[in-house]
Parts: sequence; C-alpha cells; structure tokens
Amino acid sequence: MATATQSSWHVLSRVCASIFGSYAFSWGFIALGASSLIGFGTEFHEASSLTSMLGFLIYLAAFCWAFIAASLARVWVVLAGGGALMTAVGWWVSRGG
Amino acid sequence: MFANFRLSFAWLHTWFGLVLGFVLMVAFFFGSLSVFDREIDRWALPQTRIEAQPMPSFDKILASRFTTITEPDPEEREAASKRVTQPLPEELTPAQWGAYTTHRDPVLGMYVGFAVPNSTLPDDYAYGEITIDPRDGHVLPRDQLALGSAFFYPMHFSLHITWYDIGYWIVALSAMAMLAAIGSGVVMHRKIFREFFTFRPGKKLLRSTLDLHNLTGVVALPFHFLWALSGLIIFAGIYFPVLDRMMQPLVEAHEREEAAHTGLDTHPSGKPGTLASVDAMMTAARERWASRGVPGEIGFLFVNHVGNSNTYVSIYRDSTDRVATAEGLHFEGSTGRVLFEDPPAGPIETVNAFLTGMHLQQFRHWTLRWLIFVGGILSSICIATGFIFFVEKRKHAHAAEGFGGSRWVDALAVTTVTGMVVATCFVLVMNRVLPEDLAHRDTWEKSSFWLAWLATLVHATWRSTAVLQARMSNAWAEQSWAIALLGALAVVLNAVTTGDHLGRTLAAGYWPVAGVDLMLLAAACVAAIAARKLQARAAEVVSVSPEVPDYA
Amino acid sequence: MHDAVLLAAALICTVIGMGWLALAMDAHWNQVRATRRSPRTVIILRVLGAAALVASLVLCLLADTATMAVLVWMMLLAVAALTVALVLSRRPRMLAPLIAAIPQSS
Repeated sequence: MATATQSSWHVLSRVCASIFGSYAFSWGFIALGASSLIGFGTEFHEASSLTSMLGFLIYLAAFCWAFIAASLARVWVVLAGGGALMTAVGWWVSRGG
Repeated sequence: MFANFRLSFAWLHTWFGLVLGFVLMVAFFFGSLSVFDREIDRWALPQTRIEAQPMPSFDKILASRFTTITEPDPEEREAASKRVTQPLPEELTPAQWGAYTTHRDPVLGMYVGFAVPNSTLPDDYAYGEITIDPRDGHVLPRDQLALGSAFFYPMHFSLHITWYDIGYWIVALSAMAMLAAIGSGVVMHRKIFREFFTFRPGKKLLRSTLDLHNLTGVVALPFHFLWALSGLIIFAGIYFPVLDRMMQPLVEAHEREEAAHTGLDTHPSGKPGTLASVDAMMTAARERWASRGVPGEIGFLFVNHVGNSNTYVSIYRDSTDRVATAEGLHFEGSTGRVLFEDPPAGPIETVNAFLTGMHLQQFRHWTLRWLIFVGGILSSICIATGFIFFVEKRKHAHAAEGFGGSRWVDALAVTTVTGMVVATCFVLVMNRVLPEDLAHRDTWEKSSFWLAWLATLVHATWRSTAVLQARMSNAWAEQSWAIALLGALAVVLNAVTTGDHLGRTLAAGYWPVAGVDLMLLAAACVAAIAARKLQARAAEVVSVSPEVPDYA
Repeated sequence: MHDAVLLAAALICTVIGMGWLALAMDAHWNQVRATRRSPRTVIILRVLGAAALVASLVLCLLADTATMAVLVWMMLLAVAALTVALVLSRRPRMLAPLIAAIPQSS
C-alpha cells in the first residue's frame, strides 16, 4: 500500500491526534454534556449514561475525521483544543457557573 | 492525509486493522469461548460437575462463609496499595458482601468488599473472593482455576495485563479500531451489495481470502458493531470516569438526594447493628416476583455497610427471560422490611441495560447464545483473513526487495490464530495432566498456557522464513496438526482421569462436559482437514525472482 | 418461552429468503440456470426474498419477547447469508428448487 506523500512525523502526529485528541474531545463532550443536562434537570444516571454512550460514538467520529481531514493543524486544534475548551466549560457549568 | 477520503480510510483500515487486529483476535476468540465459560469451568473442575443450583440459604450457609473471608485477595491488596495516600493497614474492615449465581451455575461465587482507607478514589474497595458448593457450603480450594470464567473470560477484556489496568485500555483501543475498521471497510468495499454473497474459493489465494474477509465482515456486520460498542459501554466507568474525577460536588449532591429518596445510605453509620433474617428477605423477594407473574430465582445478593446500623440488603432477580439486566429490591438490614424497589429504568438506562445484557448474554436462550458464539467465530475469521490477505498481497514484493515485513506479520498471524488455539488446547490437556492436589495448581495451568503460546510464536517465527521467499510458512499446517492432536488428547484425558467419557455424559444428558468434549473433537477434525489442505498448498512451489537472497 | 419449532422455521425462512435475494443477482442466477430472465422475474425474486425475511422476523417474535427476538433474527440473517454464500461457492445447483416455479423461458 502506498504510504502517504507526507513524512513519518506527519503520520505519527495523525495517529496521536486520532487516539489522544479524540479522547480529549470525547472527555470534553461528556463533561459539557453531562453537567449541562444535569443542570437542566435531567436525572443523574440518565444524563451520565446518555453522554458516555454518545461519547464513544463521538470518539469514533473524531477518530475517523482525524484521518480524512485535509489539515493536520485543524485536527489538533479542533480535537485537543475543542476537548480542553469543552472540559473547562463543563467543569464551570458543574460548579453552578 | 491522502488525495481522497477513500484512500485515507483504506490506510486506517489496513494499519489499525493489522496492529490492533492481533489484540482483536484474542478479544473475539476468548469472547466466543466465554459464551460457554461456565461449561468450560465444569470440564476443568470435575468436582463441580453437578446440576445448577439456586442461591442457597443465607442464614444457614452464606452468613458463615462470608466471615471466612478475612482479607482481600493478594492482587487486590496490591492494586489498592497503589491508590492510597497512606500505607494500607494490616487489617481492613469488611464493608460489603456479595453472592451471585446464574441458571447455569452449580457453584456460587461470593465476595467481600473491604473498605480502602485514604484512597484517591471516592469509594474504594479491595475484594476477596471464594467459590462454594451451595448444597453444603464447603469452600472450593483457591488454587483450582476455573478455566472458563476466571481465565478465558477475563483474557478477552483485559488480556490479563493488570499493571495499572493497561490491558483494559489496549482492548478498548482495539475495540474502537474495530468500529473504525467496520466503517472504513464499508467505504472501501465498493461492491458491498453486489458481492454480498460472493465467495470464490477456487480462485487465487489473494482473491478468495479477500472474498472470505468481506463475506464474514459484512454478513455479521451488526453483530461486530454491537458487540464492540457494547463492550466499551460496559466499562464506561473505567474509560470515561468524568463525573467521578471532575464533578464530585454533583456526584455527592446526587448521592445525598438518592439516599434521602430511597432510604439507602451512601456511607456506613459507624454504629454497630444487627442483620435480620436474610432468608426471609429472599422469600419476600421471590413472592413479590411471583405475584407479578415473573417468578424467578435470585441472581445477585448484596449486603452494604456490613455490621453497621444502617446496613441494607439488595436482591436482584436472575433475569433468564429477558435481555436487559434486572432491577433490585432493597431491604432494611436490621428489620427485613422493604426500603425501596428500583423503578423501571428510564429510556437511556433501558438502552444501557439492554446493551449490557446483550453483551453478557446470561439469559436462558441457548439458540441465541449459540448464534452469538457463531458471530464471535465469524469475527475471528474476518480478522484472521485480514492478516492472510495483508501478507499475500505483499510477500512477493517484499521477497523481491529483501524486506522482512511480510515474514513478521505472517509469524504474528500464525501465533494469534493457530497459536492461540494450540495454547488453549494445551492448557486443557495440562488441566487433566497436573495432579489434583498440586499446590498452586492455578499458577501451573496459567504458566503452561503462556509457555505454549510463546512456543507457538517461536515456531511461527522459525517457519516464516519461507515467506521471505514468497512461499507459504509451514507453521500454519504444523500448528493445525498440533490443534488436532491436543484437542483429541484433551477429550481422551478427560475420559481417563474423570471417567466422564462421552458415552456417560451423553447418556446422562450432562451437556456442559459433553458439549466441551464434542467441541474439542469437532475442532480437532476441522484442524486436521485444514492441516492437510494447508500442507498441500505450502508444498506448491511459487516462482521467485533469482535475485532474492537466501535467508534460511 | 421460546419454541424450537418456530425458531427452526424462522431459520429455514431466512435461508430461503437470502437464497431468493441472491438469485435476484445476475452473477448468482447464472450459477444456477444458464438462461436469461426478465426484469419482472428479478423484481419478483427480490420481493419474495424480502417477504421471507419479514416472515422469519414474525416467527422470531412469536417465539420470544421482542428484544430477544430481534437479536435472534439479526443473527439468523448472518447465518443464512453465510449459508447461501457457501452453497453458491460449492454447489450452486442446490438452490435450483428456489426458482423451480419460474418457467425456463421467462
């Protein structure tokens, strides 16, 4: 199979983004989603289960997107950056913010 | 990463499929065996070859057994010692008691949860477990290995790599790679509908392997997807402990609210208390279910805050007749009155309970459980044919370049396909060969499994030098012969060492042991047929460019 | 709870249904019968195939509670498709009875 026209570092970066960036993004999604739902009055276990089940599907989508997106920089910003942002906002919401 | 997304998906499918495919083989093969974990336990522990028993009397049998568990298991204590900020004290306080059984269990699992003080986790326990014969309560020796439920089953979700639970994470990543491989596979497979029924075994190996890979992948696609996803969801608490780690105030607010609403305290009172007759609670539970038209047996019995004034007993029905896991009935420990009954689950929890129950398949529906077993075997074939395709596609080019890539992939493929089955048959043989009263028998059995698997890796590596000349490795055929021999030997040894040969078990209708013997014989037959065909194929000489150096 | 006869019937229905769906495809029709067929025949085979799969689902629902039945049906589809594919790869003529009612020259 022909390897990418990109360098090995690029490939390694993509792989790291797909595995770890997606994890950060999913964690952030769950943090923001669960705290928001609970804040809106959703029952605790319902909110927790829904966001974590969706979290796995979000991870899958992010994982695949990391490989088909044209810009590697965008992948890192969206996944890692977006994940960190959602985590922070989610934490803030959980504190009653 | 590539010019178009189909190429990117092809890269993803190939490389994640290859690297994590080796882990997925383990997960799906041992997952398939886990459908019959209790039956394999019966075969491996002849003294437990009795009929399935219901949950015995708590007051007469279980209560005294719980007090014999005075400390957590050594591995549990060790793992807990890594989670605490102060050294663990010698004596730990028992906080929880649990006993569980299903419609297939002749023996009963019991555990004590010891409270772990100064832990970095909010509610931390270390567990000590025993297995008892419910008819009289005698404890089974600790070093007898339940090969099915205590070895093959945990292998499939943790690879037995317990160092900081890394095994769970490796399996999780491979499950995610499986989901991505399914999606990317569908994108890559342009003729997915037209070639839905296509299998051309007469064509060249590359074509027929790809046909079989596509066939097994597509016809059982919903199964592959649902089981990989549900496996991840079951352990969501390990993979995404977001609320526990980051939002303790929310968790504690919920716990307080739930304790007030249900009457079930989150924390022990610290004041001593008594436990009323739990047998009366068990009878009350059974009567309640019967009055609702869903009579049943008790699947799980749980005592929280052991010895405290606010102790409570939770009783769950063994849900043999539905997919989802069961709701609990909670009794006040000191008086035996019903404190709270879990209401029917909300919509999300229903989905969660369904996916969990589906994956664990503890229900009583042998047709469906056999079909799930077949699904797992199809997944294993899909992954194995993926490896074979990878090697076949590249071995000529690699041989011409003098590159060893295909050789190593082939060696690892043999190890995780035939090698894994060899090791499985070997441990069953050793289970019969080792003396019954050997000290640390469980360690001997586990070691024999790992050594056998290592031996198949060494053998595969040695034989795969043929791939360097674009020929087929003889390891495939040779390990298939080993499976045939070891499988048949295991059945013979069972007959010789226990007297429960197929004549006797079939006549008595004792299916757990008869079933395992029959499966071993079937596997041995299939392996022997495969071995002959593989030998014939390996003997074919493939023309190779004369510039290829000799790597023998 | 579950009825072995109903489930056996469901399996047979699923295999027949998958057989009809396979024979609706040119490549597999040609494995069983050398003559050409009309577009109408193709549609009939697809409809019959789908109907047989639905019938199998109904049989599963009669045998078990809904959630179990759906899982059983999903797995039966996989086993049936695999069976038809293996039969087509080894002895395709075994599927001839499925199109016996269709006249040779249609």
